[in-house]
Amino acid sequence: MVDIATQRKWDKVAPTFDLMAGRGAEIRWAPCKTELFSRMDGRVLFLALGTGLDIPLFPRGRDITAIDISPKMLEQAKPRVDAYDGNLRAEVMDVHEMTFDDGSFDQIFTSCTFCSVPRPVEGLKSLYRVLRPGGGLYMFEHTGSRYYPFKPMMNLMTLLTEKFGPAMNRTTVDNVRAAGFEVLEVNNIFLDVVKTIVARKPG
Amino acid sequence: MDRQLFFTLGDVVANLFVGFVMAAVAWLLVGTGWNMLIAMVAMMVLGMGLAVFLWFPIGIVLGAMEAMVPMMLTGMLSGMVVGMTAAMSSLSFSDASWKGLISGFVCFAFVWVMNSRLRGPQAL
Repeated sequence: MVDIATQRKWDKVAPTFDLMAGRGAEIRWAPCKTELFSRMDGRVLFLALGTGLDIPLFPRGRDITAIDISPKMLEQAKPRVDAYDGNLRAEVMDVHEMTFDDGSFDQIFTSCTFCSVPRPVEGLKSLYRVLRPGGGLYMFEHTGSRYYPFKPMMNLMTLLTEKFGPAMNRTTVDNVRAAGFEVLEVNNIFLDVVKTIVARKPG
Repeated sequence: MDRQLFFTLGDVVANLFVGFVMAAVAWLLVGTGWNMLIAMVAMMVLGMGLAVFLWFPIGIVLGAMEAMVPMMLTGMLSGMVVGMTAAMSSLSFSDASWKGLISGFVCFAFVWVMNSRLRGPQAL
């Protein structure tokens, strides 16, 4: 059963998402995302494609299955999906209710996703299930901070932002571990708030 | 313009702007009859809210977290400093503005230093 409340939330913001996400964030984060996505290889699952803003940063010629909970987001993403020089399929699917078989993917990529998944550890456990043993999880995420004064600020901010979009205080690295992954790399991009995380499914 | 320079200058200007605007708001709202502690806390909270409001248009150009985090900090500091001083004694608009601008620059510099220390690969 798809999480209707989350689906409606993202359907609602889909028409203005590109504007809200902003060119500034795209330009600032593009080098780090490009470096992360350059590791795509084999059967790749890309989680929460959104309007497809990240597609131009994907390396060419890859085999990518992308999912998003919001049909309206994927409608916006269609021109970018069609323009991708490789095999890219986009499907409406809730991370909590994925229909893929166990171990279907060699790698899973996320980009600013686990700030918005309502039950992050359960969502990560779903990813664990569909990833093959030894497969890699590659994440570009913003999280909460461990440091004062940023930590209380992000907590306060989350009270507001969760109403229309992402949470700002997620402990995503801990959540990745809690889901059973082995964390291999954490690279801070901005403070300890924006980061890349590389993990693997043991086996 | 070089992207790095554009974003650095943009961050400085955005923080000076938020510091100035919040100082003006606190100067308008807080008088010498206010309890200093209440003025400080109320303007700090208002500063954070105002910074988020101002971040929406500015963030489109300057980015998400890199713009939002220092701007929120600036809003809080500027509101706190100007609210507190305006409650203690009569404050001219010029003095309030300078306090706001300095708060903006201090917060930009603080976040810049913290970012220099925290960014990069982390020990697991």
